[in-house]
Amino acid sequence: MFAGLSDISISQDIPVEGEITIPMRSRIREFDSSTLNESVQNTIMRDLKAVGKKFMHVLYPRKSNTLLRDWDLWGPLILCVTLALMLQRGSVDSEKDGGPQFAEVFVIVWFGAVTITLNSKLLGGNISFFQSLCVLGYCILPLTVAMLVCRLVLLAEPGPINFMVRLFVVIVMFAWSIVASTAFLADSQPPNRKALAVYPVFLFYFVISWMILTFTPQ
Amino acid sequence: MLMRKIYQKDLKRQETQDSNDDIEDVSLFDAEEETTSRPKKSKIRHPVASFFHLFFRVSAIIVYLLCELFSSSFIACMVTIILLLSCDFWAVKNVTGRLMVGLRWWNHIDEDGKSHWVFESRKASPQDSKTVSEAESRIFWLGLIACPVLWVIFAFSALFSFRVKWLAVVIMGVVLQGANLYGYIRCKVGSRKDLTSMATSYLGKQFLRQTTGDDQTS
Repeated sequence: MFAGLSDISISQDIPVEGEITIPMRSRIREFDSSTLNESVQNTIMRDLKAVGKKFMHVLYPRKSNTLLRDWDLWGPLILCVTLALMLQRGSVDSEKDGGPQFAEVFVIVWFGAVTITLNSKLLGGNISFFQSLCVLGYCILPLTVAMLVCRLVLLAEPGPINFMVRLFVVIVMFAWSIVASTAFLADSQPPNRKALAVYPVFLFYFVISWMILTFTPQ
Repeated sequence: MLMRKIYQKDLKRQETQDSNDDIEDVSLFDAEEETTSRPKKSKIRHPVASFFHLFFRVSAIIVYLLCELFSSSFIACMVTIILLLSCDFWAVKNVTGRLMVGLRWWNHIDEDGKSHWVFESRKASPQDSKTVSEAESRIFWLGLIACPVLWVIFAFSALFSFRVKWLAVVIMGVVLQGANLYGYIRCKVGSRKDLTSMATSYLGKQFLRQTTGDDQTS
């Protein structure tokens, strides 16, 4: 009796669609569409301003939590490449150029920063991995300035005065780096662990300062 | 008796419909294609973005392969490759992804200091200007997948042929391009709202088609 009903075919051409909007997510959605559809120039300017702001914060260290929110690794990359280029022995275009030294500086900086980050995370700090890398990388800025000054001073004639000037500059910039980085990093540690978290930072910047101080362009 | 009349009428309607469909399939083929709900264009809407998406990646690989021929300075090659890899990472993450396929991923740190990785995709809007074109999508995914695979091959070749000085650059290439690949794959997978719900809806449709198809043929 109902055999005829089986011949009625359901057409598959009729689409069934609609939209369900959930009001509580609307704030996040506005933020999404603003960065998804912004122009390329806006993106570039936004990132450049963020990098510039962080450089200013390193030069004038203040305790600030908002700085760490937008981490980026552009500053550390630029500083690392600049430092590695300046730490070359010999000329850049020769056959026996300082290839291994370039890679060595790179490896020391990045491997050292990763080790310090792991150390602070293992000690129970509530800072994220990339934030810590960002802070450590940006605080190399004073030491890069020290390297620049040392290279300029080395153009003059060598002697004990030369060495004293370089030593003074490197010590001042080393202290500046330590102050800048601990202003950001120490707060993220529990109070009885602050020294344990800070001493690897001290060691890291000490190694870089030593490389800068003992540099001689032969 | 009433059922029988309906059955006969339906049968006739189906026969005429079938014959009409035959005619329709031949003559109105082009018209049907124009009226599909989401036309996938195959022209390239953002030629500059597509060019730069491939340019940085391919030129980094070319410089790595040909550096021995072009310049005797290891450092110049290394710095060039590093700069190209960084520009490529930034361009693919911030610009070409959202212009070509409407996907974006980033890291967001909230007030508690916890980091969240956000993967977003542009929802398919009925506006014509924002649909994803197939050619661009193909270019994007091809460039995104092929290059990290090449860098992994370079990493193994550098490791086994003991050209360790290149290892730092190659590892950087693998990490940066692998990160973009991973981020965009997660955007793509996450945009289908839920893999399981999509799978069940697909299976349900198939099941329905099977049962009605079986009933029609029996």
